[in-house]
Amino acid sequence: MAQKKIKFKCKHPLRRCPICCIVPPHMLENVAVSGSPEQREWAFHTLNLSAQFRGRRNTVGDITFMPQPGEKNRTIYDAGGNEQLPGKLVRSEGDPPGTDEAVNEAYDGAGATYDLFYEVFERNSIDDKGLRLNSTVHYGEKYDNAFWNGSQMVYGDGDGDLFQRFTKSIDVIGHELTHGVTQHEAGLIYFGESGAINESMSDVFGSLVKQKVKNQTADQADWVIGEGLFTSKVKGVGIRSMKAPGTAYDDEVLGKDPQPAHMKDIYTGTKDNGGVHINSGIPNHAFYLAAMDIGGYAWEKAGNIWYIALRDRLRSKANFKKAAEITIKVAGELHGEASNEQKAVQNAWQKVGVV
Amino acid sequence: MRISFERTGGFAGISKIKTIDTASLPPNEASLLPTLVEAADFFNLPENIPSSAPGGDRFQYTVTVEDNGQQHTVTVSEGALPGQLRPLIEWLKHK
Repeated sequence: MAQKKIKFKCKHPLRRCPICCIVPPHMLENVAVSGSPEQREWAFHTLNLSAQFRGRRNTVGDITFMPQPGEKNRTIYDAGGNEQLPGKLVRSEGDPPGTDEAVNEAYDGAGATYDLFYEVFERNSIDDKGLRLNSTVHYGEKYDNAFWNGSQMVYGDGDGDLFQRFTKSIDVIGHELTHGVTQHEAGLIYFGESGAINESMSDVFGSLVKQKVKNQTADQADWVIGEGLFTSKVKGVGIRSMKAPGTAYDDEVLGKDPQPAHMKDIYTGTKDNGGVHINSGIPNHAFYLAAMDIGGYAWEKAGNIWYIALRDRLRSKANFKKAAEITIKVAGELHGEASNEQKAVQNAWQKVGVV
Repeated sequence: MRISFERTGGFAGISKIKTIDTASLPPNEASLLPTLVEAADFFNLPENIPSSAPGGDRFQYTVTVEDNGQQHTVTVSEGALPGQLRPLIEWLKHK
């Protein structure tokens, strides 16, 4: 299989590295191990790119190695409680499930996300060119987070007191992977309103991954992001609610869900990169309203409108108003001017106070 | 010396804030904290240290140090932590 051929190690003092590589791979590997976090991310990213290039070279002359569209390519690493990325390789594409739940969940969740993008939107992975999906589990010590570092997904185990492991919720996996899609497409700047749209895109497609796996129509879905991440000690159903932003949790220790559902309550401070995880409630709710109004499976129409906006129309500095205008326009192009679908999208943005 | 430490962002977007005053710390820690602040060259750090790399859901830390009438606030992305600041952040995270 292709991924067996793709290796990080480029063993050459004598042979030239096929893509070369201003910085030799062994040095990159060193940086990947001992550099500062940013250096490590860069080194990993570069190694990853070179591995892909080498993978492509390997395919020349033996077409069977070429990853076919629709063919997933996942690797899961284990950071073993450290913060070194990517960590130790523990599962590659096609390997059977093991005993580590986090590894299995990261593998299956990445697969379900790949499938949604491929089957519904005809997208071949994060870059639409079959990019390998790398995930690291057991990152850090009692680490209460999951993130996308620009080239891979990373999951913490949670502190066990308030948060459980972050792979537990499939929409979290869809959320992180969608950050990769956004990075390759609209490139929405991660601050203020464009950052909140970036966040919302991750919630929208994360939720659609869950809905697709559960085969739920819009009215059957719970529209909760991060269901099951909290321990039983926490008063809350999940991290965010697209159906009713601001109501996901209300807890003595964690406080209350701060998400607005309407422009009148938009957060204007600088915390959280200008409230990217706060104000995403507004576009999240607009998507929910549109999907509910259209009815049926949310990925079929509302999801497709949002996907085309993300892939082809949104620019990196887009604000909510622009996102509204674009999705309304795309709905008209796909389903006709003044169609029910376009009206649903228009009404949704109106209800959240954006247009 | 007084320090306020706030973590915002992350996938959950749930903020955590703590305030530490050396006056109420045990002596060994009370003497360590100013060392960490000095090692970080804290008062000469820029107010904002964003990450230049693309990504999503990283934590953001805001640290305010007040000492001898001096006050400085630094907001730094988890993905862009300068090496000199790391020991102070790690200490504050575990406090």
